[in-house]
Amino acid sequence: MNKLTSFIQEQRQTKPLLMMTHVVYGYPSIEKSLEIMQLMLESGVEILEVQFPFSDPVADGPTITTACHHALENQPKLSQCLKDIKQLAQRYSQSRVLLMSYLNPLLQPGFASLAQQMGDNVIGIIIPDLPIDHHTMLAPLCKKEISPIWLITPDMQQERIRTVIKHAQGMLYCVSRSGVTGQQAPIQDDTKAQNIQSYLSTIRKFTSLPLAVGFGINTASDIRSLKGHADVAIVGSALLNAFNKGGLESVAVKLQELQP
Amino acid sequence: MNDEGRFGQYGGSFIPEILYSSQQQLLKAYREAMADTSFVQQVKSEMQHFSGRPTPLTYCANLTQKIGGAQIYLKREDLNHSGAHKMNNVIGQGLLAKRMGKTRVIAETGAGQHGVASALVAARLGLECVVYMGAHDIERQYPNVFWMKQLGATVIPVSTGAATLKDALDEALRDWSSSYEDTHYLIGTSCGCAPYPEMVAGFQSVIGEEVKEQSIQQFGKHPERIYACVGGGSNACGIFLPFVDTQTELVGVEAGGRSGNPGEHAMRFNTDQARFGIAQGFATRFLQDDEGQLQPTHSISAGLDYVGVSPILADLEEQGKVRMTSANDIEVIEAFKLLTRHEGIIPALESSHAVAGGLKEAATMSPDEHLVINISGRGDKDIFNIAKALKDEPFNEFLHSYLKEEASQ
Repeated sequence: MNKLTSFIQEQRQTKPLLMMTHVVYGYPSIEKSLEIMQLMLESGVEILEVQFPFSDPVADGPTITTACHHALENQPKLSQCLKDIKQLAQRYSQSRVLLMSYLNPLLQPGFASLAQQMGDNVIGIIIPDLPIDHHTMLAPLCKKEISPIWLITPDMQQERIRTVIKHAQGMLYCVSRSGVTGQQAPIQDDTKAQNIQSYLSTIRKFTSLPLAVGFGINTASDIRSLKGHADVAIVGSALLNAFNKGGLESVAVKLQELQP
Repeated sequence: MNDEGRFGQYGGSFIPEILYSSQQQLLKAYREAMADTSFVQQVKSEMQHFSGRPTPLTYCANLTQKIGGAQIYLKREDLNHSGAHKMNNVIGQGLLAKRMGKTRVIAETGAGQHGVASALVAARLGLECVVYMGAHDIERQYPNVFWMKQLGATVIPVSTGAATLKDALDEALRDWSSSYEDTHYLIGTSCGCAPYPEMVAGFQSVIGEEVKEQSIQQFGKHPERIYACVGGGSNACGIFLPFVDTQTELVGVEAGGRSGNPGEHAMRFNTDQARFGIAQGFATRFLQDDEGQLQPTHSISAGLDYVGVSPILADLEEQGKVRMTSANDIEVIEAFKLLTRHEGIIPALESSHAVAGGLKEAATMSPDEHLVINISGRGDKDIFNIAKALKDEPFNEFLHSYLKEEASQ
């Protein structure tokens, strides 16, 4: 069975909802970003998503975009990023580490070399500007059992959902609303919570793959409303905002607050 | 695999999944519209009655004599309403947006020409208009921002990244990700995901179609060469495409900037700083570093200051059907002065690149050969930058006294 899927299913035996947190590699510095990752892994986050920054992150909102542009001033290298996060994955073997980036930085080594460099430790990849139509580009990763994680969006046609699910591995990344990352919380009131729950139950009818939900998950109540409907809650901009406000300490507080 | 919108290895669609449905809707609506003769007729009619097409093909007797080579002609896109070729595209896309039932258009703009053109069309068609523009470009091109506002458009400064055109494009894509239900993204150049490169180049091809007819009428054959400046590539696609695979040689002129060093120019060809990449929704040649990060660009003209290039041109260049050359900032100012003094035509700094490229080569051609230079826009908008480049002291004095007068009121 797929490594990521079996990990999530095992964890779900005892936990109602897992947490996937996001860090921009190189922001505010390479060293500091590794400290943030370490803090998250120490606090028991099940899945860590590490974004290798790109100059033109079109699917990201202002918080992450600004962090990426700052990170680039530190001239991060993808090869070093992979070495660093592999080390973390080995050290915190109770959690799993995924890579997220846009196509262009990933095309530089190419997917065969990338698969080699990700090895057995970085077990999944998220590429927001790669549509499912180009899934064959990722064949070298699949061969190495690295899961491409595809996105599902709220107004997706059934036929398109079926196409995605046909090629999906590991888990599905269900985008909670239209727009880019960050922005307002999607689950502010009961109606919104119900909308998202019915969206997830629709997808559930198509697949038994674990469902992760992201975009605009900010508060403990956002997380609560996902219990019983999703397997993984994805938190990105909210933690980055916490870091920008009060450094590692605030990240720790926010993580505590969001604990499912 | 979805091969829609591919040009050789370039083009395609690499957009966030959230935009998939609206892109499909646009593709379908565009195909249907272009198959509908009444829509095509409507576009043609607006181009004539709103923008003043056809634009003339003007013979340059003085420059031809001065240079002593090929016969020099100008395609006068500067005479469009709004003062640039950008009008051709916004008329087409504006009518398409209306036909699709959209109530709002968003646009990215570099020099501001596309922003002004979008605002003009939006005002005429009763559409809400939001223009994303790099904060750095706003500083360079405030007069255009002023006109956009007068036309009722909202101009949003983009200060992320290099705060120029590529960042404005990113921001417009982000807007579209949450607004696609009522909003059409009116891209100003033949870049972006399918069907934009094809659609923009298609609406602009009226330029080359007219040159075909006008050249036969005026000198009895097609020109030996055509020159166009290349930023994103819409005016070049427009004048080139009808001539692809004919005897006419097609020459693109890029922004050579201050030097060939990284960050000092906007050349995507003939430099190892640019190569195949995928970003901003499509594949093309991008200026990028070893890690695949898109690089800052520079040009004396904001409109050529773009990190990528039309996938259609990238493919034609690779096939040897278009030749790419460049003109640096100094050559551009010289070309600007020549055309202004000798022919009484004030070209935009963008178009002055094409003038520089054309005049340089005209001397090596024979008098029975003809070349056409595309004057994509007029230079009025560049008054501040040109006055600065020409070190015109009285212009500064004028600005000082204007501000002083304002302050005393």
